[in-house]
Amino acid sequence: MLEIHDLRVAYGNKNILNGIDLSIRQGETLAVIGESGVGKTTLGLCIAGLVQGKVSGQVLFQGMDLLKLSEQDLNKMRWNRFSLVLQNVENVLNPVMTIIKQVTEPIVEHGIRKKKYAVEKAVEVLSRAGVPSSRYEAYPHQLSGGERQRAMIAMALANDPEFIILDEPTASLDTLTRLEILKLLREVGRDRALLVITHDISAAAKLGDNIAVLYGGKLLEKGPAKEILTAPCHPYTRGLLRSYPNMTTVKDLQGIKGRLEIPQKGCCFYPRCTQAVDICREEHPPIARKGECYLACHRGGIVPLLQLKDINVNYGPVAAVKGANIKVYEGETMAMVGESGSGKSSLAYSIMGITKSFSGSIYLDGSKVKKRSKEFFRRVQMVFQNPAESISHRHNVLQAVREPLDIQNLGCDGERKEKVRRALDEVQLSSDDEFLSQYPYHLSGGEVQRVAVARALILKPAVIVADEPTSALDASVQAKVLKLLMELQQNRGLGILFITHDIALARKISDRITVMQAGEIVEEGPAERLITRPGHSYTRALLEAAPDMDFIEQEQNGVDLRESSLSSCSFLAKN
Amino acid sequence: MHINYWQIFKQNRVGIYGLAILFAILIFALCGPVFSPYFPQNTTTLTLDPPSLQHWLGTNDVGQDIFTRLLSGARTSLAVAVGTALLSTLLAVLIGITAALAGGITDRILMRFTDALLTIPVIVVVIMIAAYVRPGVLNLIIILSCLGWPVGARVIRAQAMTLKERYHIYAARVFGGGMLYIMFRHIVPDLLPLLCVSFIQGARRAVFMEAGLAFLGVTNPDMISWGMMLRHALEYCYLDAYKWWLLPTGFALSVTILAFSFLGYSLEEMTDPRLRRREDA
Repeated sequence: MLEIHDLRVAYGNKNILNGIDLSIRQGETLAVIGESGVGKTTLGLCIAGLVQGKVSGQVLFQGMDLLKLSEQDLNKMRWNRFSLVLQNVENVLNPVMTIIKQVTEPIVEHGIRKKKYAVEKAVEVLSRAGVPSSRYEAYPHQLSGGERQRAMIAMALANDPEFIILDEPTASLDTLTRLEILKLLREVGRDRALLVITHDISAAAKLGDNIAVLYGGKLLEKGPAKEILTAPCHPYTRGLLRSYPNMTTVKDLQGIKGRLEIPQKGCCFYPRCTQAVDICREEHPPIARKGECYLACHRGGIVPLLQLKDINVNYGPVAAVKGANIKVYEGETMAMVGESGSGKSSLAYSIMGITKSFSGSIYLDGSKVKKRSKEFFRRVQMVFQNPAESISHRHNVLQAVREPLDIQNLGCDGERKEKVRRALDEVQLSSDDEFLSQYPYHLSGGEVQRVAVARALILKPAVIVADEPTSALDASVQAKVLKLLMELQQNRGLGILFITHDIALARKISDRITVMQAGEIVEEGPAERLITRPGHSYTRALLEAAPDMDFIEQEQNGVDLRESSLSSCSFLAKN
Repeated sequence: MHINYWQIFKQNRVGIYGLAILFAILIFALCGPVFSPYFPQNTTTLTLDPPSLQHWLGTNDVGQDIFTRLLSGARTSLAVAVGTALLSTLLAVLIGITAALAGGITDRILMRFTDALLTIPVIVVVIMIAAYVRPGVLNLIIILSCLGWPVGARVIRAQAMTLKERYHIYAARVFGGGMLYIMFRHIVPDLLPLLCVSFIQGARRAVFMEAGLAFLGVTNPDMISWGMMLRHALEYCYLDAYKWWLLPTGFALSVTILAFSFLGYSLEEMTDPRLRRREDA
């Protein structure tokens, strides 16, 4: 129904859209998501022919190029063939006209019906849009935000267009109203084509058959909504999902590093991308098919950094790990959960080569690790369970944090000290000379752990294997250390293999969780799925044993309490 | 934790005595020419002269100044002691720690070799070799070291085995540290007290062995040594000469060995808290 080829829009020298290709079929909804300022609204306005700037490319609406039509022809098409629901409902409606008049206007204007019949039609669409009949004669300022949004949708529906563009239909609505609007839109979209422009990812998930991710006037990723939302390929999409508060994902919110700044050349996202390589600075990647999606990324999407294949660890007759397969992606946390003795640490040691009695293969950046060279350790680092013991008692802070640089022989003396200071700053420790000359036993547990993290990070590794790094810490210090790791993940794209026995902790920090029992991986999957719908009985047992803050008394009386409070609830009575 | 070994050592009287004596001997050995105007090899016509102002301990059968020879003998003894201790400790460190760190087949080969050497009666073998080679100071150091390292290697390996499973060693390995780095930057410093003990004990044994071999007359005859002086002195026992020839030499040798023992035992006590006596109890 709608096909867009190589659409470009520029205001003066500023390119807003750079070669957009999209298509929407009858009865299909396409959601365009992205941060504010990436050109979403321009895209909608451009299709409706409302853009002042320089436009090139093709917008084929049922075979007609909308960009080539004259203003008159476009006017005929608007509202009849396609309509537009604009953002900022407060300002779009005419403040001196009643709602019913405003909805009638396009019907009469386009001469579809006589005024008398037009009112009938207006009433019909208004009621369909769910505006209460008592409100028809009201002026826009008398309506609530939800009602105004409904009125706008009613206007868009008035002439039965085949295609509707909705710009942020759910922005600034409260959640209950939002839900009703979404319900309405879904119904509206059943036999029409909808283009929903939104930063509300949940709305995109509820409405969109397909999702397109826009950044810097270019499409970074597009494909079926389910694919995009459950397994995003582009780091930007992942960043959007991570920063969106919702009831599905369980990981703490994380943003995308940097500011929205579009570089002159290269991939438009590279300044904020944590896995950018040289080519990303040079040219923008073409959008290419990947599985069911289309993706524009030189790296082919989020890259797997560390892959373990068929790892077996045997201590004599004891099999500590049996055939473990694990992948750690760039910028992701993989939590490995299991009780003590389930082989978690053995697996970590086999990655780092501390244990020699293991079989299986390890891939780093896609290539098999044959010998753990110094380069390997520059890419993969480990944080140990007991921070104080992992630092030699003969080393002060400076020597401890410098040690990796000394071993790797990086930089001269002064540079090393400078790097140590920066690493300590990064983990939010003091970096003055007094602190540098402290010995680990002078420091508190949290400080020592952060020193340990600093020395693991000073080589700027891509992957960190963290073996119960916070088990020796109290909760508040643990929270600090974890926040730090998450921040580094956001800013550096650190891949973390986080080993813990605490599934409650794993839930907060991991993208995916692997559950290990007696050396075997019994379950693996996205954190939210594993927490809400555990597949294996062992996972369920771990979840049940996980700490919560429910009081036992309340649990017993909970039912009564809830019922009594519900009986007087007007919301329930209404529905 | 940091232990201030010097603080503890200061409280150990035996150790202080041992160190003081050794220091005195060292001064004598180094500053020999200051105390006596003679050369140890120079012969005079005065033979078997009793002590006088010119010759404090008299002269021997060929007219050499005994005191001067005593001072030279101290040099030999200390040189052999320090050299052997250094070399055998180094061998013990290299072999013990390599075996511990490398593990597997390397460990097994090295340790079987060590065990084999341990079963050999060192004195007999040394005498046999010495009788054939007639070693000087350097050769003696080499021979004694080659046969003296196994005990130390065993002890060091055992300690290194426990050390290498410590997290700070793991951490160093994870930073990319190779075996030599781990050995010399982590394990040797951690084992330093133990190495001191093994060094001192090695030195004590070396002094004793050197004197013994010289006494048996299987070392290089040009070497001036307390052992050889004792051997010569014994031949003139029927004369009064033993009083200023045999006794002072024996005394010097005994005191040196005693000093090493004192130092060794006190160090051992320090590094093993279970042996530490409570002085204030």
